[in-house]
Amino acid sequence: MPEPILAVDMLEVAYGPIRALRGCSLTVSAGETVAVVGANGAGKTTLLRAISNVLPHTGGEVRFDGTTTRGRRADQLALAGLLQVPEGRGIIGRLSVAENLQLAWALRPDEGGFEAASRRVFARFPRLQERLSQRAGSMSGGEQQMLALARAIISPPRVLLVDEPSLGLSPVMVSEVFSVLKAFRESGVTILLVEQNVRQALAIADRAYVLRQGTIVAEGSGQTLLSDPAMLRYYLGSG
Amino acid sequence: MLAEQIINGIVLGSMYALVALGYTLVFGVLDKLNFAHGETFMLGGFVAIAASALGAPLWVAFPCALLICGALGLLVELLSFRKFRSADAQVTAALSSLALGLVLIDLVQKTYGSEPVSLELPLEVRTATIAVGGIEIAQIKLAILGIALLLMGGLQVLVTHTRVGRNIRAVAESPLAAALLGIHVRLVMQQTFVIASALAGIAGVMLAMRTGYAASDIGFTFGIKALAIMAIGGMGDLRGAMLGGILVGIVEALAVQFGLGKLGEIVVWILMIIVLLVRPGGLFSTGTEQRA
Ligand SMILES: Nc1ncnc2c1ncn2[C@@H]1O[C@H](COP(=O)(O)OP(=O)(O)OP(=O)(O)O)[C@@H](O)[C@H]1O
Ligand SMILES: [Mg+2]
Repeated sequence: MPEPILAVDMLEVAYGPIRALRGCSLTVSAGETVAVVGANGAGKTTLLRAISNVLPHTGGEVRFDGTTTRGRRADQLALAGLLQVPEGRGIIGRLSVAENLQLAWALRPDEGGFEAASRRVFARFPRLQERLSQRAGSMSGGEQQMLALARAIISPPRVLLVDEPSLGLSPVMVSEVFSVLKAFRESGVTILLVEQNVRQALAIADRAYVLRQGTIVAEGSGQTLLSDPAMLRYYLGSG
Repeated sequence: MLAEQIINGIVLGSMYALVALGYTLVFGVLDKLNFAHGETFMLGGFVAIAASALGAPLWVAFPCALLICGALGLLVELLSFRKFRSADAQVTAALSSLALGLVLIDLVQKTYGSEPVSLELPLEVRTATIAVGGIEIAQIKLAILGIALLLMGGLQVLVTHTRVGRNIRAVAESPLAAALLGIHVRLVMQQTFVIASALAGIAGVMLAMRTGYAASDIGFTFGIKALAIMAIGGMGDLRGAMLGGILVGIVEALAVQFGLGKLGEIVVWILMIIVLLVRPGGLFSTGTEQRA
Protein backbone atom coordinates (compact mmCIF):
# COMPACT_ATOMS: atom_id res chain seq x y z
CA MET A 1 0.00 0.00 0.00
CA PRO A 2 1.36 3.46 -0.85
CA GLU A 3 2.13 5.89 1.95
CA PRO A 4 -1.01 7.93 2.80
CA ILE A 5 -0.88 11.59 1.82
CA LEU A 6 -1.96 12.55 5.35
CA ALA A 7 -1.19 10.46 8.43
CA VAL A 8 -2.18 11.46 11.95
CA ASP A 9 -0.43 9.34 14.52
CA MET A 10 -1.34 9.28 18.23
CA LEU A 11 -2.00 13.02 18.27
CA GLU A 12 -2.33 14.66 21.70
CA VAL A 13 -3.68 18.18 22.17
CA ALA A 14 -4.58 19.84 25.47
CA TYR A 15 -6.17 23.15 26.40
CA GLY A 16 -4.57 23.59 29.80
CA PRO A 17 -5.92 20.71 31.89
CA ILE A 18 -8.50 19.70 29.24
CA ARG A 19 -7.22 16.88 27.04
CA ALA A 20 -9.11 17.47 23.83
CA LEU A 21 -7.27 14.85 21.73
CA ARG A 22 -6.01 11.68 23.37
CA GLY A 23 -3.91 9.69 20.97
CA CYS A 24 -5.96 10.26 17.85
CA SER A 25 -4.81 8.39 14.73
CA LEU A 26 -6.11 8.31 11.16
CA THR A 27 -4.92 8.25 7.57
CA VAL A 28 -6.07 9.76 4.29
CA SER A 29 -4.82 8.41 0.95
CA ALA A 30 -4.66 10.41 -2.26
CA GLY A 31 -8.04 10.68 -3.95
CA GLU A 32 -9.97 9.49 -0.89
CA THR A 33 -12.79 11.26 0.87
CA VAL A 34 -12.57 10.53 4.58
CA ALA A 35 -15.13 11.67 7.13
CA VAL A 36 -14.63 12.14 10.85
CA VAL A 37 -17.95 12.21 12.67
CA GLY A 38 -18.47 12.99 16.31
CA ALA A 39 -20.80 14.76 18.71
CA ASN A 40 -20.40 18.31 20.03
CA GLY A 41 -17.10 18.65 21.84
CA ALA A 42 -15.68 15.36 20.56
CA GLY A 43 -12.58 17.20 19.36
CA LYS A 44 -13.23 17.52 15.63
CA THR A 45 -12.23 21.17 15.31
CA THR A 46 -9.26 20.58 17.58
CA LEU A 47 -8.13 17.76 15.30
CA LEU A 48 -8.23 19.89 12.15
CA ARG A 49 -6.56 22.84 13.86
CA ALA A 50 -3.79 20.64 15.13
CA ILE A 51 -3.30 19.12 11.66
CA SER A 52 -2.97 22.63 10.19
CA ASN A 53 -0.58 23.65 12.99
CA VAL A 54 -2.68 26.55 14.21
CA LEU A 55 -2.83 24.65 17.50
CA PRO A 56 0.31 23.10 18.95
CA HIS A 57 0.20 19.40 19.77
CA THR A 58 1.83 17.96 22.86
CA GLY A 59 2.33 14.44 21.55
CA GLY A 60 2.16 12.30 18.46
CA GLU A 61 2.82 13.41 14.92
CA VAL A 62 1.20 14.56 11.70
CA ARG A 63 2.81 13.52 8.41
CA PHE A 64 1.84 15.29 5.21
CA ASP A 65 3.21 13.85 1.96
CA GLY A 66 5.51 11.61 3.94
CA THR A 67 7.19 14.34 5.98
CA THR A 68 6.41 15.53 9.47
CA THR A 69 4.61 18.86 9.82
CA ARG A 70 6.58 19.64 12.97
CA GLY A 71 8.12 23.10 12.82
CA ARG A 72 6.11 24.22 9.79
CA ARG A 73 3.77 27.18 10.09
CA ALA A 74 0.08 27.00 9.17
CA ASP A 75 0.61 29.27 6.16
CA GLN A 76 3.49 27.13 4.91
CA LEU A 77 1.32 24.04 5.12
CA ALA A 78 -1.50 25.84 3.30
CA LEU A 79 0.86 26.90 0.52
CA ALA A 80 2.09 23.32 0.28
CA GLY A 81 -1.51 22.29 -0.41
CA LEU A 82 -2.72 21.19 3.03
CA LEU A 83 -5.66 23.56 2.94
CA GLN A 84 -8.37 24.04 5.53
CA VAL A 85 -11.84 25.54 5.28
CA PRO A 86 -12.29 26.22 8.99
CA GLU A 87 -15.34 26.11 11.20
CA GLY A 88 -17.13 29.41 10.64
CA ARG A 89 -15.90 29.40 7.01
CA GLY A 90 -12.94 31.76 7.35
CA ILE A 91 -13.97 34.07 4.56
CA ILE A 92 -12.72 37.65 4.82
CA GLY A 93 -16.02 39.46 5.29
CA ARG A 94 -14.74 42.98 4.68
CA LEU A 95 -13.26 42.03 1.31
CA SER A 96 -15.42 41.61 -1.77
CA VAL A 97 -16.15 38.18 -3.21
CA ALA A 98 -13.72 38.90 -6.04
CA GLU A 99 -10.99 39.96 -3.61
CA ASN A 100 -11.47 36.80 -1.56
CA LEU A 101 -10.93 34.72 -4.70
CA GLN A 102 -7.98 36.81 -5.86
CA LEU A 103 -6.36 36.60 -2.46
CA ALA A 104 -6.60 32.82 -2.44
CA TRP A 105 -5.40 32.45 -6.00
CA ALA A 106 -2.48 34.87 -5.59
CA LEU A 107 -1.25 32.85 -2.62
CA ARG A 108 -1.31 29.58 -4.53
CA PRO A 109 -1.19 30.53 -8.22
CA ASP A 110 -1.35 27.86 -10.92
CA GLU A 111 0.00 28.09 -14.47
CA GLY A 112 -3.38 28.71 -16.08
CA GLY A 113 -3.73 32.20 -14.62
CA PHE A 114 -6.42 33.79 -12.48
CA GLU A 115 -8.91 34.24 -15.32
CA ALA A 116 -8.96 30.56 -16.22
CA ALA A 117 -9.11 29.57 -12.55
CA SER A 118 -12.08 31.81 -11.88
CA ARG A 119 -13.88 30.56 -14.99
CA ARG A 120 -13.54 27.03 -13.61
CA VAL A 121 -14.86 28.18 -10.26
CA PHE A 122 -17.81 30.06 -11.74
CA ALA A 123 -18.82 27.03 -13.78
CA ARG A 124 -19.35 25.25 -10.46
CA PHE A 125 -20.55 28.25 -8.44
CA PRO A 126 -22.52 30.42 -10.89
CA ARG A 127 -24.09 32.46 -8.12
CA LEU A 128 -20.71 33.79 -7.00
CA GLN A 129 -20.15 35.36 -10.38
CA GLU A 130 -23.23 37.53 -9.90
CA ARG A 131 -21.90 38.76 -6.59
CA LEU A 132 -18.28 39.51 -7.36
CA SER A 133 -18.30 43.06 -6.07
CA GLN A 134 -20.44 42.36 -3.00
CA ARG A 135 -18.81 42.42 0.43
CA ALA A 136 -18.36 38.78 1.33
CA GLY A 137 -19.62 39.38 4.87
CA SER A 138 -22.96 40.64 3.60
CA MET A 139 -23.83 37.37 1.84
CA SER A 140 -26.03 34.69 3.39
CA GLY A 141 -24.43 31.89 5.39
CA GLY A 142 -24.90 29.41 2.57
CA GLU A 143 -23.36 31.75 0.02
CA GLN A 144 -20.44 32.37 2.35
CA GLN A 145 -19.86 28.64 2.67
CA MET A 146 -19.92 28.34 -1.12
CA LEU A 147 -17.37 31.15 -1.34
CA ALA A 148 -15.18 29.38 1.21
CA LEU A 149 -15.31 26.14 -0.82
CA ALA A 150 -14.79 27.99 -4.10
CA ARG A 151 -11.79 29.79 -2.65
CA ALA A 152 -10.32 26.52 -1.46
CA ILE A 153 -10.33 24.92 -4.91
CA ILE A 154 -9.49 27.97 -7.02
CA SER A 155 -6.13 26.29 -7.30
CA PRO A 156 -6.42 22.62 -6.44
CA PRO A 157 -5.27 21.65 -2.93
CA ARG A 158 -3.37 18.42 -2.20
CA VAL A 159 -5.62 17.70 0.77
CA LEU A 160 -8.73 19.69 1.62
CA LEU A 161 -9.73 19.79 5.29
CA VAL A 162 -13.32 20.90 5.81
CA ASP A 163 -14.74 21.64 9.27
CA GLU A 164 -18.53 21.31 9.57
CA PRO A 165 -19.51 23.03 6.34
CA SER A 166 -23.20 22.36 7.03
CA LEU A 167 -23.18 24.19 10.36
CA GLY A 168 -26.03 26.67 10.71
CA LEU A 169 -27.38 26.20 7.19
CA SER A 170 -30.94 25.51 6.04
CA PRO A 171 -31.67 21.93 4.89
CA VAL A 172 -31.65 23.04 1.26
CA MET A 173 -28.25 24.67 1.63
CA VAL A 174 -26.93 21.64 3.51
CA SER A 175 -27.77 19.39 0.56
CA GLU A 176 -26.16 21.88 -1.77
CA VAL A 177 -22.96 21.89 0.29
CA PHE A 178 -22.83 18.11 0.24
CA SER A 179 -23.41 17.95 -3.48
CA VAL A 180 -20.52 20.38 -3.98
CA LEU A 181 -18.30 18.18 -1.81
CA LYS A 182 -19.41 15.16 -3.79
CA ALA A 183 -18.48 16.93 -7.00
CA PHE A 184 -15.07 17.79 -5.54
CA ARG A 185 -14.63 14.15 -4.67
CA GLU A 186 -15.57 13.02 -8.14
CA SER A 187 -13.08 15.41 -9.69
CA GLY A 188 -10.36 13.76 -7.62
CA VAL A 189 -9.87 16.16 -4.68
CA THR A 190 -8.61 14.46 -1.53
CA ILE A 191 -10.91 15.44 1.33
CA LEU A 192 -10.89 15.10 5.10
CA LEU A 193 -14.36 16.15 6.20
CA VAL A 194 -15.35 16.72 9.80
CA GLU A 195 -19.09 16.67 10.46
CA GLN A 196 -21.85 16.32 12.97
CA ASN A 197 -24.29 15.73 10.14
CA VAL A 198 -23.50 12.03 10.24
CA ARG A 199 -25.78 10.59 7.57
CA GLN A 200 -24.83 12.94 4.80
CA ALA A 201 -21.15 12.87 5.70
CA LEU A 202 -21.03 9.07 5.69
CA ALA A 203 -22.99 8.97 2.45
CA ILE A 204 -20.27 10.80 0.52
CA ALA A 205 -17.26 9.29 2.32
CA ASP A 206 -15.12 6.38 1.15
CA ARG A 207 -14.05 5.75 4.71
CA ALA A 208 -15.03 7.24 8.03
CA TYR A 209 -13.89 7.47 11.62
CA VAL A 210 -15.99 8.04 14.71
CA LEU A 211 -14.36 10.43 17.15
CA ARG A 212 -15.43 10.42 20.77
CA GLN A 213 -13.79 12.36 23.60
CA GLY A 214 -10.60 12.83 21.66
CA THR A 215 -10.06 9.26 20.45
CA ILE A 216 -11.13 7.26 17.43
CA VAL A 217 -13.61 4.65 18.62
CA ALA A 218 -14.75 3.18 15.32
CA GLU A 219 -13.59 3.04 11.74
CA GLY A 220 -14.98 1.62 8.53
CA SER A 221 -16.32 2.37 5.10
CA GLY A 222 -19.04 4.99 5.00
CA GLN A 223 -21.60 2.39 4.03
CA THR A 224 -20.64 -0.03 6.82
CA LEU A 225 -20.99 2.64 9.49
CA LEU A 226 -24.26 3.88 8.00
CA SER A 227 -25.70 0.38 8.17
CA ASP A 228 -24.96 0.12 11.89
CA PRO A 229 -27.30 2.71 13.41
CA ALA A 230 -27.11 1.13 16.86
CA MET A 231 -23.38 1.63 17.00
CA LEU A 232 -23.68 5.20 15.72
CA ARG A 233 -26.36 5.98 18.27
CA TYR A 234 -24.16 4.62 21.02
CA TYR A 235 -21.14 6.73 20.06
CA LEU A 236 -22.82 9.85 18.85
CA GLY A 237 -25.74 10.09 21.24
CA SER A 238 -28.20 10.07 18.35
CA GLY A 239 -28.66 8.74 14.82
CA MET B 1 -6.51 86.22 8.23
CA LEU B 2 -9.09 83.49 8.07
CA ALA B 3 -8.15 81.75 4.79
CA GLU B 4 -4.53 81.62 5.82
CA GLN B 5 -5.41 80.11 9.18
CA ILE B 6 -7.49 77.45 7.49
CA ILE B 7 -4.56 76.59 5.24
CA ASN B 8 -2.31 76.43 8.29
CA GLY B 9 -4.86 74.11 9.84
CA ILE B 10 -4.92 71.82 6.85
CA VAL B 11 -1.12 71.64 6.78
CA LEU B 12 -1.00 70.85 10.50
CA GLY B 13 -3.89 68.42 10.08
CA SER B 14 -2.15 66.53 7.29
CA MET B 15 0.72 65.79 9.67
CA TYR B 16 -1.73 64.73 12.39
CA ALA B 17 -3.32 62.46 9.83
CA LEU B 18 -0.03 60.78 8.89
CA VAL B 19 0.71 59.96 12.52
CA ALA B 20 -2.88 58.90 13.24
CA LEU B 21 -2.79 56.56 10.23
CA GLY B 22 0.09 54.68 11.83
CA TYR B 23 -1.80 54.21 15.10
CA THR B 24 -4.88 53.05 13.28
CA LEU B 25 -3.05 50.69 10.89
CA VAL B 26 -1.38 48.85 13.75
CA PHE B 27 -4.58 48.83 15.75
CA GLY B 28 -6.52 47.50 12.77
CA VAL B 29 -4.16 44.59 12.27
CA LEU B 30 -3.22 43.67 15.85
CA ASP B 31 -6.08 45.12 17.90
CA LYS B 32 -3.36 46.66 20.03
CA LEU B 33 -2.14 50.22 20.59
CA ASN B 34 1.48 51.03 19.86
CA PHE B 35 2.52 53.54 22.50
CA ALA B 36 6.00 53.86 21.01
CA HIS B 37 4.45 55.36 17.86
CA GLY B 38 4.59 58.97 19.11
CA GLU B 39 8.29 58.54 19.81
CA THR B 40 8.91 57.05 16.37
CA PHE B 41 7.38 60.25 15.04
CA MET B 42 9.57 62.29 17.38
CA LEU B 43 12.67 60.48 16.13
CA GLY B 44 11.84 61.57 12.57
CA GLY B 45 12.49 65.17 13.60
CA PHE B 46 15.88 64.28 15.03
CA VAL B 47 16.79 62.38 11.89
CA ALA B 48 16.28 65.69 10.08
CA ILE B 49 18.51 67.42 12.66
CA ALA B 50 21.22 64.79 12.27
CA ALA B 51 21.09 64.86 8.48
CA SER B 52 21.37 68.62 8.43
CA ALA B 53 24.23 68.54 10.96
CA LEU B 54 26.07 66.21 8.59
CA GLY B 55 25.65 68.81 5.88
CA ALA B 56 23.22 66.78 3.78
CA PRO B 57 20.71 68.61 1.59
CA LEU B 58 17.26 69.03 3.05
CA TRP B 59 15.53 66.26 1.10
CA VAL B 60 17.95 63.61 2.36
CA ALA B 61 16.10 63.63 5.69
CA PHE B 62 13.08 62.00 4.04
CA PRO B 63 14.63 58.73 2.84
CA CYS B 64 16.70 58.58 6.03
CA ALA B 65 13.64 58.95 8.26
CA LEU B 66 11.79 56.42 6.14
CA LEU B 67 14.55 53.84 6.64
CA ILE B 68 15.45 54.58 10.25
CA CYS B 69 11.90 54.90 11.56
CA GLY B 70 10.76 51.95 9.45
CA ALA B 71 13.50 49.84 10.99
CA LEU B 72 12.51 51.13 14.41
CA GLY B 73 9.01 49.86 13.67
CA LEU B 74 10.45 46.37 13.19
CA LEU B 75 12.23 46.65 16.51
CA VAL B 76 9.05 47.78 18.28
CA GLU B 77 7.18 44.80 16.81
CA LEU B 78 9.94 42.43 17.88
CA LEU B 79 10.33 43.72 21.44
CA SER B 80 6.83 44.81 22.41
CA PHE B 81 4.35 42.86 20.27
CA ARG B 82 5.79 39.59 18.95
CA LYS B 83 5.51 37.78 22.27
CA PHE B 84 2.15 39.23 23.17
CA ARG B 85 -0.03 37.78 20.47
CA SER B 86 -3.11 36.72 22.40
CA ALA B 87 -6.05 39.05 22.51
CA ASP B 88 -5.80 39.49 26.29
CA ALA B 89 -2.19 40.68 26.07
CA GLN B 90 -3.30 44.18 25.04
CA VAL B 91 -2.21 45.77 28.29
CA THR B 92 1.15 43.98 28.26
CA ALA B 93 1.92 45.17 24.73
CA ALA B 94 0.76 48.69 25.56
CA LEU B 95 2.99 48.90 28.63
CA SER B 96 5.95 47.38 26.86
CA SER B 97 5.71 49.78 23.93
CA LEU B 98 5.23 52.70 26.31
CA ALA B 99 8.46 51.73 28.07
CA LEU B 100 10.25 51.42 24.75
CA GLY B 101 9.07 54.91 23.82
CA LEU B 102 10.36 56.32 27.10
CA VAL B 103 13.74 54.71 26.47
CA LEU B 104 13.81 56.41 23.06
CA ILE B 105 13.06 59.80 24.62
CA ASP B 106 15.85 59.26 27.10
CA LEU B 107 18.34 58.31 24.42
CA VAL B 108 17.46 61.39 22.38
CA GLN B 109 17.74 63.62 25.45
CA LYS B 110 21.13 62.12 26.33
CA THR B 111 22.32 63.07 22.85
CA TYR B 112 20.59 66.39 22.23
CA GLY B 113 19.53 67.60 25.67
CA SER B 114 15.93 68.15 26.70
CA GLU B 115 15.50 71.56 25.07
CA PRO B 116 14.19 71.79 21.50
CA VAL B 117 16.96 71.68 18.90
CA SER B 118 16.60 74.08 16.01
CA LEU B 119 16.79 72.88 12.44
CA GLU B 120 18.84 75.11 10.16
CA LEU B 121 16.82 75.75 7.03
CA PRO B 122 18.18 77.75 4.10
CA LEU B 123 16.70 81.25 4.04
CA GLU B 124 14.97 80.76 0.69
CA VAL B 125 13.24 77.62 1.98
CA ARG B 126 11.89 79.51 4.98
CA THR B 127 10.75 82.62 3.16
CA ALA B 128 9.73 81.61 -0.34
CA THR B 129 6.03 82.09 -0.92
CA ILE B 130 3.66 81.46 -3.74
CA ALA B 131 0.42 83.27 -4.50
CA VAL B 132 -2.61 81.04 -4.66
CA GLY B 133 -5.89 82.79 -5.34
CA GLY B 134 -4.63 86.06 -3.96
CA ILE B 135 -3.16 84.55 -0.78
CA GLU B 136 0.57 84.38 -0.20
CA ILE B 137 1.38 80.88 1.04
CA ALA B 138 4.77 79.71 2.20
CA GLN B 139 6.08 77.18 -0.27
CA ILE B 140 7.22 74.93 2.52
CA LYS B 141 3.66 74.57 3.77
CA LEU B 142 2.47 73.62 0.33
CA ALA B 143 5.31 71.15 -0.04
CA ILE B 144 4.41 69.53 3.29
CA LEU B 145 0.76 69.33 2.34
CA GLY B 146 1.66 67.90 -1.06
CA ILE B 147 3.91 65.20 0.38
CA ALA B 148 1.35 64.31 3.04
CA LEU B 149 -1.47 63.99 0.52
CA LEU B 150 0.76 61.94 -1.75
CA LEU B 151 1.60 59.56 1.07
CA MET B 152 -2.04 59.24 2.10
CA GLY B 153 -3.09 58.55 -1.47
CA GLY B 154 -0.27 56.05 -1.82
CA LEU B 155 -1.31 54.29 1.36
CA GLN B 156 -4.90 54.14 0.17
CA VAL B 157 -3.81 52.54 -3.11
CA LEU B 158 -1.48 50.16 -1.29
CA VAL B 159 -4.21 48.99 1.07
CA THR B 160 -7.01 48.70 -1.46
CA HIS B 161 -5.25 47.63 -4.64
CA THR B 162 -2.12 45.65 -3.88
CA ARG B 163 -1.38 42.19 -2.64
CA VAL B 164 0.32 43.53 0.48
CA GLY B 165 -2.80 45.58 1.17
CA ARG B 166 -5.15 42.64 0.69
CA ASN B 167 -3.02 40.60 3.06
CA ILE B 168 -3.10 43.43 5.60
CA ARG B 169 -6.88 43.63 5.39
CA ALA B 170 -7.22 39.87 5.69
CA VAL B 171 -5.03 39.70 8.80
CA ALA B 172 -6.85 42.72 10.24
CA GLU B 173 -10.09 40.78 10.04
CA SER B 174 -8.92 37.33 11.09
CA PRO B 175 -5.33 36.22 11.63
CA LEU B 176 -6.54 32.61 11.84
CA ALA B 177 -8.42 32.67 8.54
CA ALA B 178 -5.49 34.49 6.93
CA ALA B 179 -2.97 31.89 8.11
CA LEU B 180 -5.16 29.04 6.84
CA LEU B 181 -5.25 30.72 3.44
CA GLY B 182 -1.48 30.77 3.36
CA ILE B 183 -0.70 34.29 4.56
CA HIS B 184 2.41 34.65 6.70
CA VAL B 185 0.71 36.54 9.50
CA ARG B 186 3.83 37.68 11.31
CA LEU B 187 5.33 39.04 8.10
CA VAL B 188 2.16 41.05 7.49
CA MET B 189 2.37 42.42 11.03
CA GLN B 190 5.98 43.45 10.43
CA GLN B 191 5.01 45.11 7.16
CA THR B 192 2.29 46.99 8.97
CA PHE B 193 4.71 48.26 11.60
CA VAL B 194 7.22 49.34 8.95
CA ILE B 195 4.60 51.25 6.96
CA ALA B 196 3.11 52.90 10.05
CA SER B 197 6.51 53.85 11.47
CA ALA B 198 7.91 55.14 8.18
CA LEU B 199 4.87 57.41 7.77
CA ALA B 200 5.38 58.72 11.30
CA GLY B 201 9.07 59.32 10.64
CA ILE B 202 8.30 61.38 7.56
CA ALA B 203 5.67 63.33 9.47
CA GLY B 204 8.34 64.01 12.09
CA VAL B 205 10.71 65.41 9.45
CA MET B 206 7.97 67.62 8.07
CA LEU B 207 6.96 68.95 11.49
CA ALA B 208 10.59 69.87 12.18
CA MET B 209 10.76 71.69 8.84
CA ARG B 210 7.49 73.46 9.48
CA THR B 211 8.32 74.63 13.00
CA GLY B 212 12.09 74.95 12.56
CA TYR B 213 12.97 72.69 15.49
CA ALA B 214 12.76 69.14 16.85
CA ALA B 215 11.71 68.47 20.44
CA SER B 216 11.98 65.25 22.41
CA ASP B 217 8.60 65.70 24.08
CA ILE B 218 6.69 65.91 20.82
CA GLY B 219 5.42 62.35 21.16
CA PHE B 220 3.51 63.38 24.27
CA THR B 221 2.04 66.54 22.81
CA PHE B 222 1.56 66.13 19.09
CA GLY B 223 1.83 62.32 19.02
CA ILE B 224 -0.77 61.64 21.67
CA LYS B 225 -3.14 63.98 19.87
CA ALA B 226 -2.87 61.73 16.84
CA LEU B 227 -3.99 58.92 19.11
CA ALA B 228 -7.10 60.95 19.94
CA ILE B 229 -7.62 61.58 16.24
CA MET B 230 -7.57 57.84 15.65
CA ALA B 231 -10.36 57.49 18.20
CA ILE B 232 -12.29 60.35 16.63
CA GLY B 233 -11.93 58.87 13.16
CA GLY B 234 -12.75 55.36 14.34
CA MET B 235 -10.22 52.81 15.60
CA GLY B 236 -8.74 51.02 12.63
CA ASP B 237 -10.49 53.23 10.07
CA LEU B 238 -7.96 54.66 7.60
CA ARG B 239 -10.27 57.20 6.03
CA GLY B 240 -11.37 58.31 9.50
CA ALA B 241 -7.77 58.97 10.52
CA MET B 242 -7.16 61.11 7.43
CA LEU B 243 -10.34 63.14 7.68
CA GLY B 244 -10.10 63.32 11.48
CA GLY B 245 -6.55 64.64 11.31
CA ILE B 246 -7.42 67.41 8.89
CA LEU B 247 -10.59 68.27 10.80
CA VAL B 248 -8.71 68.64 14.07
CA GLY B 249 -5.97 70.66 12.37
CA ILE B 250 -8.53 73.12 11.02
CA VAL B 251 -10.43 73.36 14.31
CA GLU B 252 -7.21 74.07 16.18
CA ALA B 253 -6.17 76.73 13.69
CA LEU B 254 -9.58 78.38 13.92
CA ALA B 255 -9.38 78.31 17.71
CA VAL B 256 -6.16 80.31 17.43
CA GLN B 257 -7.77 82.66 14.93
CA PHE B 258 -10.65 83.38 17.29
CA GLY B 259 -8.36 84.19 20.17
CA LEU B 260 -8.62 80.98 22.16
CA GLY B 261 -4.84 80.70 21.98
CA LYS B 262 -3.41 77.73 23.84
CA LEU B 263 -6.94 76.79 24.87
CA GLY B 264 -7.33 75.53 21.30
CA GLU B 265 -5.25 72.54 22.31
CA ILE B 266 -8.04 71.10 24.44
CA VAL B 267 -10.48 71.10 21.53
CA VAL B 268 -9.23 67.73 20.34
CA TRP B 269 -9.70 66.14 23.75
CA ILE B 270 -13.20 67.47 24.17
CA LEU B 271 -14.02 66.33 20.66
CA MET B 272 -12.69 62.88 21.48
CA ILE B 273 -14.80 62.59 24.64
CA ILE B 274 -17.93 63.64 22.79
CA VAL B 275 -17.31 61.40 19.77
CA LEU B 276 -16.61 58.38 21.98
CA LEU B 277 -19.85 59.03 23.86
CA VAL B 278 -22.04 59.64 20.85
CA ARG B 279 -20.40 57.61 18.09
CA PRO B 280 -18.02 55.11 19.65
CA GLY B 281 -17.31 53.64 16.20
CA GLY B 282 -15.87 56.97 15.09
CA LEU B 283 -17.15 60.17 13.56
CA PHE B 284 -17.29 58.80 10.03
CA SER B 285 -18.48 55.27 10.72
CA THR B 286 -21.69 54.01 9.20
CA GLY B 287 -21.88 51.04 11.50
CA THR B 288 -20.60 48.55 8.95
CA GLU B 289 -17.70 50.70 7.81
CA GLN B 290 -14.67 48.74 6.76
CA ARG B 291 -11.59 48.97 8.89
CA ALA B 292 -7.92 49.07 7.91
N1 LIG C 1 -10.01 27.29 23.28
C1 LIG C 1 -10.39 26.27 24.10
N2 LIG C 1 -10.09 26.33 25.41
C2 LIG C 1 -10.45 25.32 26.23
N3 LIG C 1 -11.12 24.23 25.84
C3 LIG C 1 -11.45 24.12 24.56
C4 LIG C 1 -11.11 25.14 23.61
N4 LIG C 1 -11.56 24.76 22.40
C5 LIG C 1 -12.18 23.58 22.58
N5 LIG C 1 -12.10 23.19 23.88
C6 LIG C 1 -12.63 21.92 24.43
O1 LIG C 1 -12.04 20.86 23.73
C7 LIG C 1 -13.00 19.87 23.44
C8 LIG C 1 -13.08 19.63 21.96
O2 LIG C 1 -13.55 20.81 21.31
P1 LIG C 1 -13.73 20.94 19.74
O3 LIG C 1 -14.06 22.34 19.44
O4 LIG C 1 -12.55 20.34 19.07
O5 LIG C 1 -15.00 20.00 19.50
P2 LIG C 1 -15.84 19.77 18.20
O6 LIG C 1 -15.91 18.30 18.02
O7 LIG C 1 -15.32 20.57 17.07
O8 LIG C 1 -17.27 20.30 18.62
P3 LIG C 1 -18.41 21.03 17.75
O9 LIG C 1 -19.13 19.95 17.02
O10 LIG C 1 -19.27 21.68 18.77
O11 LIG C 1 -17.74 22.00 16.85
C9 LIG C 1 -14.30 20.36 24.05
O12 LIG C 1 -14.46 19.74 25.31
C10 LIG C 1 -14.11 21.83 24.20
O13 LIG C 1 -14.85 22.31 25.31
MG1 LIG D 1 -16.07 22.05 15.90
